[in-house]
Amino acid sequence: MPRLLAPLLLLLAPLAAPPAAAAPVPYSLDAACSRVAFEVAFGPDRISGTMPVAAADLALDFRDVSTSHVDVTLDAADATASFPFAAQAMKGPKVLDAGHFPAITFVSRSVTRTTEGARIEGLLTLRGVARPVTLDARIYRQTGTAEGDLSHLTLKLTGTVRRSDFGATGWADMVSDEVRLDILARVDRAG
Amino acid sequence: MAAGILFTLALGLYVARMEPGLSNLWLYGLHKTCGAMLLALALLRLGWHVGHPPPGPLPGPPAWAMTLARATHRALYALMLAVPLSGWAYASATGLDVLVFGGVRLPAIAPVSEAWEDALHLAHILLTRLMLALILLHVAGALRRALVERDGTLARMTTGRRG
Ligand code: HEM
Repeated sequence: MPRLLAPLLLLLAPLAAPPAAAAPVPYSLDAACSRVAFEVAFGPDRISGTMPVAAADLALDFRDVSTSHVDVTLDAADATASFPFAAQAMKGPKVLDAGHFPAITFVSRSVTRTTEGARIEGLLTLRGVARPVTLDARIYRQTGTAEGDLSHLTLKLTGTVRRSDFGATGWADMVSDEVRLDILARVDRAG
Repeated sequence: MAAGILFTLALGLYVARMEPGLSNLWLYGLHKTCGAMLLALALLRLGWHVGHPPPGPLPGPPAWAMTLARATHRALYALMLAVPLSGWAYASATGLDVLVFGGVRLPAIAPVSEAWEDALHLAHILLTRLMLALILLHVAGALRRALVERDGTLARMTTGRRG
């Protein structure tokens, strides 16, 4: 997948002369072409899965990234995993408890520029427990768009969470505590 | 059935100690499938005994040995039901579907909660240990008959002929 995406290097270099009133621009998520994936270790193997995005509210500011914000709700109840047992175990009361907590939310608290993209720190709430989580963001231009065109972008967000921080401790003897997140978001500038 | 029980016991001990992964996950299913078949066989066997009572023991051993043998037999029959039932109940309490034969879902027979899960897991472990101990006792008794008393009991057990 990343092979298809040309890095939007332009964004990484400081841009000349920001206009006086730089403001974050709202983007809408193309949910059908986006994917929230995760992976855990299962003995010598891995279990992977995805979670549908129920709602996303994002505003990006490439001149002053710190005013950007990301606010995402995932639908835990419709999460999938690589085999049926894993999905059932994950949604059950000992892990996500999707029956009681069908939504997983992420709300950004700070966005900072890094040499390769941005670091998004925010609050992740699952099982009703809120804990800080840091995601690394890379921004790419979508294939078929011109250099410098910010209207259609692809964001790749990666990070890890420890499920025990949220009390999602089921099957701890079989499945790793660490969950790796791999999020691919295609976004379109709204208006 | 004896071979099935020994195999399922050994498989259970192995499954509980292995490092679970994708490659050996099917062993859980195999254990549950064998266990469920053994439960069905135990019910058939008990049903058969109702219409066809097994022959009484050949006389000979002292009274204490006869009492011990009778108690061991009763307990083994009880365990042939209790062990798979506890395994099934334990699997139900984890909240996951209990699948046998690679896809047939058994109904849950226990409430889903960690307290039930822990208690039933312990019950399954203790009952299987008790079963192992009684199997050893049962085998020891049969061997005593075969090797010390040489009275043909073992042949009756294995062939079903009343000799
Ligand atoms: C005659 C029948 C059965 C026998 C002899 C048997 C025996 C065993 C034994 C010896 C263990 C290992 C316990 C330990 O040391 O931790 C075990 C574990 C287990 N059994 Fe059974 N079992 C039987 C039936 C069943 C059935 C019917 C089910 C479920 C439908 C079942 C599900 C399990 C599960 C889930 C474990 C736990 C494995 C683990 O701890 O990771 N068993 N069994």
